[in-house]
Amino acid sequence: MTRENAPERSVQELYRDDPERADALVFGRRGALKGAALAAMGTALGAGIPFARHMPQGLVPAALAQGAAQPQFLQMEGKAPLIMQGERPLNAETPEHLLDDAVTPADKFFIRNNGSVPDPVADPRAWKIRIDGEVNTPLELSIAELEQRFEVVTRQLQMECGGNGRSGFSPQAAGNQWGNGAISNAEWTGVRLRDVLRAAGLKEGAKFTGQHGADNHLSAQGPAISRGMRIEKALDEDTLICFRMNGAAIPQMHGAPARLIVPGWPGSLSQKWFNRLEVKSEPHTGRGMGGTSYRIPVRPIVPGSRNNGADFVDMESMPVRSVLTSHAHGTRLPAGTRSLDIRGHAWAGDLSVRDVHVSTDFGQSWQAMQVAAPPNRHSWQRWQGSVALPADGYYEVWYRATDSNGRMQPHVAANWNPQGYGANPISRIAILIG
Amino acid sequence: MRVLHLIAIALLLGAAVAVAQTPDLARRQAEAAAALADRQEEETVLTEGEGRSEVFGYCTACHNTALIRRSAFTRDRWDELMDWMAEKHGMNPLEGEFRQTIVDYLAKHYGPRARSPRGGNPFLN
Repeated sequence: MTRENAPERSVQELYRDDPERADALVFGRRGALKGAALAAMGTALGAGIPFARHMPQGLVPAALAQGAAQPQFLQMEGKAPLIMQGERPLNAETPEHLLDDAVTPADKFFIRNNGSVPDPVADPRAWKIRIDGEVNTPLELSIAELEQRFEVVTRQLQMECGGNGRSGFSPQAAGNQWGNGAISNAEWTGVRLRDVLRAAGLKEGAKFTGQHGADNHLSAQGPAISRGMRIEKALDEDTLICFRMNGAAIPQMHGAPARLIVPGWPGSLSQKWFNRLEVKSEPHTGRGMGGTSYRIPVRPIVPGSRNNGADFVDMESMPVRSVLTSHAHGTRLPAGTRSLDIRGHAWAGDLSVRDVHVSTDFGQSWQAMQVAAPPNRHSWQRWQGSVALPADGYYEVWYRATDSNGRMQPHVAANWNPQGYGANPISRIAILIG
Repeated sequence: MRVLHLIAIALLLGAAVAVAQTPDLARRQAEAAAALADRQEEETVLTEGEGRSEVFGYCTACHNTALIRRSAFTRDRWDELMDWMAEKHGMNPLEGEFRQTIVDYLAKHYGPRARSPRGGNPFLN
């Protein structure tokens, strides 16, 4: 190693091994990079930092915030190279820049399993779905019968893992360490669950649902997951029993031949390989219900503390979130690039997105992007705009959505909970000009 | 016009073939998922240390080691997860010395870390 390289390595290692200490050493007392420290940081990042004076204390540059370990990528026919979260159960995340399509194609649809993937069935049209419990007339209908008997609707619906964004929590929460890529917005075709429930006739005591599917738990003990929701969500016009995705058969990986789609709420409610819905008078008690599962604190708890979740509440509408899809994290552009056209999507559970703002100076100033209306309720929305870059060097593009109630993505993941639900902090990508 | 007709027919045929292939692709994807799940891991994928064999043997009965390797928990949180897996995921309850061996190993080798498990520096690697 040459002498010139020595400070470069030391700053980089400091940030990787102990960012807080590195920050204290590298940043000045007022939280501004200056003098030799600025030079050292710029060298470590491979470029100057044009907005260094605005960089808040305690903030690790996005390019350094990630660890040394390289992600593994899924290799599967019919699937894009998704970020592998685990092989058993099989879970894989879509990198944000692969989410650029308005309608998420099958190959770019994230994979979330709680158990094993069932074998495909020979005759999908004959697949039966049972509706029972607190109904006057239990029903058992094949997909062919559902399609014949009820109005068939097609909607673009966002469906997101309940744990999306989990890697934002500190200390680490248990579960797949998703970035923002456990989100999809496919075009789903099916019948409204509410039409089917009305045909069965809800009894007075019909207050909750319990969903069932055909996948088995990896321990071979019972079903992989069985979650339920309040009956109000089951009666929402966008809660569908689906049998087609993007105009084709639902891919096996995503729940063929039938999947319940409960848009805007944790994806685990959107039962894959869906075959039964119980209507209940009490909350469902299947695997994935109760305790700390898909539940969040009402009274915030100390991050990292022990809690059995007894006084948590079920997570329902997902929080506002955005992705930037036009440029990958780590994009390098030619010297002299002075503006950047950027775009992405934003969504907010049952709500819509009112604003998306972008900052290229570490949050010192924010610029409004154009946000398009959704094609239908529960679809994500396209945002786009242009940002100016005053000089060559290292930039971070920060992007922050605001929902229709005025709630913004926070600066850090809020309301820590043991299994890590609801983390939706402002995201950022690193860009290098020159 | 004839050319357009031919193109239209070709497109229709193409669509028919694509639909016809779907069941095959579904089967191949299910097989690929099963193959990934069945992929044998070596114990050495986990950090060397006392208790590694016990951890590898006990934990991979249900899931592969990615769930361990991505984790960075305090001893207390690892201990809590043992109860959670027993209560929620059908794991045989872990008790006594064996539990201590497993939790000690996990806490020592997969304890809190300062950095995120995601990615690398795009401009330095």
